[in-house]
Amino acid sequence: MITFDQVTYCYPTDTATPTIPVLHKLNLHFHAGEFTLLVGPSGAGKSTLLRLLNGLVPHFSGGTLTGKLRVNGLDPVLATPRVMSRHVGFVFQDPEAQFVMERVEEEIAFALENAATPAQAMRLRVEETLDLLDLAALRQRPIATLSGGERQRVAIAAALALRPTILVLDEPTSQLDPQSAEEVLQALVRLNQDHGLTVVLAEHRLERVLPFVDRVVYLPGKGGAPISGTPRDVLAAIDLGPPLVQLAKALGWHPLPLTVKEGLSFNRQIVASLADHPVPPAVVTQGKPPLLQARNLEVAYGAQRILHGVNLALAPGEIVALLGRNGAGKSTLLKSLVSLVRVARGAVTIHGRTTQGLSVAEICRQVAYLPQDPNALLFADTVREELLITLRNHGLHPALGVVETLLTQLGLADKAECYPRDLSVGERQRVALAAILVTKPAVILLDEPTRGLDYLAKVQLMALLKMWRMEGKAMLLVSHDVELVAALADRVLLMSQGEIIADGPPADLLRASPLFAAQIARLFPHTSWLTVEDVLANVGRGKEEAV
Amino acid sequence: MTSLRLHPVAWVSWLLAILIGVTTTRNPLYLGLILLWLAAVMVTARLVLGQHFTRPPLSPWRWGSVMILSTALFNALNVHVGTHSLLHLPAWLPLFGGPITLEALLYGALNGLVLLALLLAFGVVNGVLPVWALVGLIPRAYYPVAVVVAIAVTFAPVTVRRLQQIQEAQAIRGHQVRGLRCWLPLLLPLLTGGLEHAFQLAEAMMARGFASQAAVVYTLPTQVMVLLGLVGVLGGLLVQMLTVRTLLSMGLLVGGSAVLIAALWGAGRSQPHTRYRPAPWRGRDWLVLCGALLVIVCFLLPVPGVDRVSLFYYPYPTLTLPAFAIPLGLATWGLLMPVLALLLDGLPKPPAPRPNERPTEMVEARR
Amino acid sequence: MIPRSGVRLLYPVLLYSLTNLIGVLAFLYPFWWPATLQTTDSAMAHATDAPLLTTLLVLLCLGVLLLEVQSQMVNTKTVALLGVLVAINATLRYAETIIPGPGGFSPIFLLIVLTGYVYGSRFGFLMGVLTLLVSALITGGVGPWLPYQMFTAGWVGISAPLCRPLIRWLRRLGGDEARVTLWVLAGFGGLWGLLYGAIMNLWFWPFAVGAVEQSWQPGIQLVETLRRYVLFYLVTSLLWDFLCLVGNMTLILIAGAPVLRVLQRFQQRFEFHYDAVAAPGAMTSETPAILVSGDA
Repeated sequence: MITFDQVTYCYPTDTATPTIPVLHKLNLHFHAGEFTLLVGPSGAGKSTLLRLLNGLVPHFSGGTLTGKLRVNGLDPVLATPRVMSRHVGFVFQDPEAQFVMERVEEEIAFALENAATPAQAMRLRVEETLDLLDLAALRQRPIATLSGGERQRVAIAAALALRPTILVLDEPTSQLDPQSAEEVLQALVRLNQDHGLTVVLAEHRLERVLPFVDRVVYLPGKGGAPISGTPRDVLAAIDLGPPLVQLAKALGWHPLPLTVKEGLSFNRQIVASLADHPVPPAVVTQGKPPLLQARNLEVAYGAQRILHGVNLALAPGEIVALLGRNGAGKSTLLKSLVSLVRVARGAVTIHGRTTQGLSVAEICRQVAYLPQDPNALLFADTVREELLITLRNHGLHPALGVVETLLTQLGLADKAECYPRDLSVGERQRVALAAILVTKPAVILLDEPTRGLDYLAKVQLMALLKMWRMEGKAMLLVSHDVELVAALADRVLLMSQGEIIADGPPADLLRASPLFAAQIARLFPHTSWLTVEDVLANVGRGKEEAV
Repeated sequence: MTSLRLHPVAWVSWLLAILIGVTTTRNPLYLGLILLWLAAVMVTARLVLGQHFTRPPLSPWRWGSVMILSTALFNALNVHVGTHSLLHLPAWLPLFGGPITLEALLYGALNGLVLLALLLAFGVVNGVLPVWALVGLIPRAYYPVAVVVAIAVTFAPVTVRRLQQIQEAQAIRGHQVRGLRCWLPLLLPLLTGGLEHAFQLAEAMMARGFASQAAVVYTLPTQVMVLLGLVGVLGGLLVQMLTVRTLLSMGLLVGGSAVLIAALWGAGRSQPHTRYRPAPWRGRDWLVLCGALLVIVCFLLPVPGVDRVSLFYYPYPTLTLPAFAIPLGLATWGLLMPVLALLLDGLPKPPAPRPNERPTEMVEARR
Repeated sequence: MIPRSGVRLLYPVLLYSLTNLIGVLAFLYPFWWPATLQTTDSAMAHATDAPLLTTLLVLLCLGVLLLEVQSQMVNTKTVALLGVLVAINATLRYAETIIPGPGGFSPIFLLIVLTGYVYGSRFGFLMGVLTLLVSALITGGVGPWLPYQMFTAGWVGISAPLCRPLIRWLRRLGGDEARVTLWVLAGFGGLWGLLYGAIMNLWFWPFAVGAVEQSWQPGIQLVETLRRYVLFYLVTSLLWDFLCLVGNMTLILIAGAPVLRVLQRFQQRFEFHYDAVAAPGAMTSETPAILVSGDA
């Protein structure tokens, strides 16, 4: 059905020197009705491969393509994307940037209007598509008022309006929170299993889809040969994988468990050994005087109360994670700490002094705030210029070497003269961090920093946060990424409906909650283990003690 | 969102009737009558549509009264013709010198009334037609333009939200709003973000089969018709300017315009796009259309039995009582048709309470 | 027979010149129209529907121009790019709450002039026309003066590439490229700010001051009308338009260079068109979306 035969592709360049091909002599075959998962490091060519399927590469982005490619018997290069749109539906990553029309119904009808479908057939098709993705209740809503998950479902519906037989998705859940991601992936599974749609999905969050996937294709990047096969075979051969799979590989469990249920059959031995050696409870360290403290914060938007009675304290050398459902008020809390949002009642103190009466600029010299979308910060021509602009805004002179040390610390020394918007997502985030850290603040607030990052960038971010923790900075992190929080946080705050409902060490809070439990925690429910390292450390110690 | 009570084209015909009505006459009696019917339609529309009636950004009544006053004053200060003199300014003032006459004041006020009527009429149409209906009015020949407008209208609230995010992001870097220089850190990320967004949007559109074909070349007949029409219109204007032959110039103007409109319509037919959910044309739309046509015909064309001389009212050189022809007065009742059409369904029941939508945007997009 | 290519070139030239001539005559009607009317009652009656007539004429000219311009721009990337830029510009028009500016100066000309300069006159035309249209749509402010506004804003965009030869000439005289470009564009933007206000004033003028007078003598009439208009303009909107001129010039001087850089940086990606030359017998897809140099 989809065949790649010695396909080689290079991106276009201005210079005459030939570039390394992104895909080199690729040979792949996809069968009809399969659910294929495409994994690999960022920049490996997953997006390119997906866009080859409907002709967007090379029609949209240029470059040179050699080899034979057939999708449903058609050559996407010769049959332009216009013809391929009837065979291949494509869903992109950003839930905001895919829509032409204002309302759900009109968006679905857009593709049909373009294809000059007669009006009666259009009505029928739109109704069917709405039912296919369970969107009938949302049909007249403006897309801008929908949640991320609902928007991506609308995008899928719009892609399916022309009834293609293949659905291709390029990281559709990377910008979404876990609940929305769940919605979208369940819809995909239903489409594949109930309607026989061929699905090709590139994704980082493997744990949710692995049980339903027929095939996994791993692209190592830099033109290397792909590894293709059943999920268990491929996962056994590569480094990437959800924590459960990594634990299973480390402990030699066979066959590889893909879900917590499958893993339960393997952990009996370890659980049994635990009964003899109970795990000591987690030690809570006493805090030093807090750097930032908020007392009885209350924020209202008109008559609606967004935050009330919020008490929080950040001690130096501490990473605090703030978790909660969408709409719980987490971003508002962060913004109120730097006075971006007017505080109706309560006080925020930094180093013991109140922030009332200070402007945002003055507060931000001591408290750095990284917004959800770091692109909103960047506008200079070079990375170095970004840092200098912040210094200029604050009226500070760039002291000798401050800029250079910060750039080196963040791994941007070789990119100092690059245009920030040309960099990858992870690098852009680091440029934004550099821009706000140049005034050497003592507190750092991060609003969902792992959104859109791949595994490698996440590891680099974690290293940075650990480094700042050792330097004695206090960090407050809003995140949906439970694995990151489990690995990093010293304390966890849970928020719901504008109040902080729980405050404690991650071992306690991330264990029982069904929404926020890490995979490892779900596997070993009566312990305080949250990460693979926890398990391995304790298992190793158990073995030593047993010997 | 309620579906439209009246077809957008019916509303446009009503608007055209008002435009023609108020611009062909300065007779205060006719103007007053037209304004009365206008007010009736506006009140009915507000009543029937309730919260779906989009209020205009400026209150038309307040601005209207300001305008009437200022136009009256302007005219009185500029034109010094008339027998009833109120004031006498010294003659050495450059333009304002001379008698301030009642006639000039009245004539200025009449002009202001015309402007008020125009504002009100457009206010009604803006209020009853939501943005998507207005976009749907764009003729088929302009499909790519309509898509651009649809994208822009969809993206506008996103831009507002992004602007706010950028403002916050720059504030946390110490940027403070101080005069024109602060434009740059706000404009540049908005622009760059927008361009990247446009790129992704283009990709999504292409993936959904948006027609990215070669340039649409219009057929030779269309091109010839367009050129002919333009020559006709230009000829009409030039004839009017150089030799004063009104009938010939009017004929050329109307003929040229007709040829142009025909050419545009022909171009529209060649567009292969269909429209999802075209609005239905019902009996009530015919009602409104006929009312509008009645007004247009009576006011513009010489209909036997209708004395159009009374349309012309000129207060100079001396104030006279305006004439009134009953047939014309009755013809203006055609402007009242939308009231009937709107009330055909009866008044709406109060809307059921809706579950809270998240307030995600700073500016609520028009429905 | 006229060669095919000659006809293809002739048509746009004829179209642009005819429509612009009609547009100019229509805008300037208060100066020559009253003088042509004879002093009979029925003819005087027609004097009052001149505003409506000219607005409809301008609308028609706009329609014809739009048709021609859009026929060259069916490319997906252009449509998306235009849509987004128009949205940004239309939102900026009323962004005084966030960004300060002198008087009621509106910053829309910055983007219209700069995109016209970088991406060509067709793009600039569409930018101008559609910015005004979309900002009227989203604020519910469609009014009878909209065709005038759209046409004038379209003119701003369509004439922006005229700066290019001027800039080239000035550079040859020995000027630094960046500064020369900026100052020429700033002057252009400021001038158009003034002209725009003057032209909009022309729409309101017949309502403010009756265009009809008692005795007719064509020659004197024109001079008299002109004099009245100049005085009217001085009193009403000169100050406003002067502020617009200053505001526009300052804005372009401040923001012009970075915005130009951004637009030029993205030009490559948007002007690309795929040519499947490598594969024999392949279909060529889109024609170049935007012509940079020397397009009409």
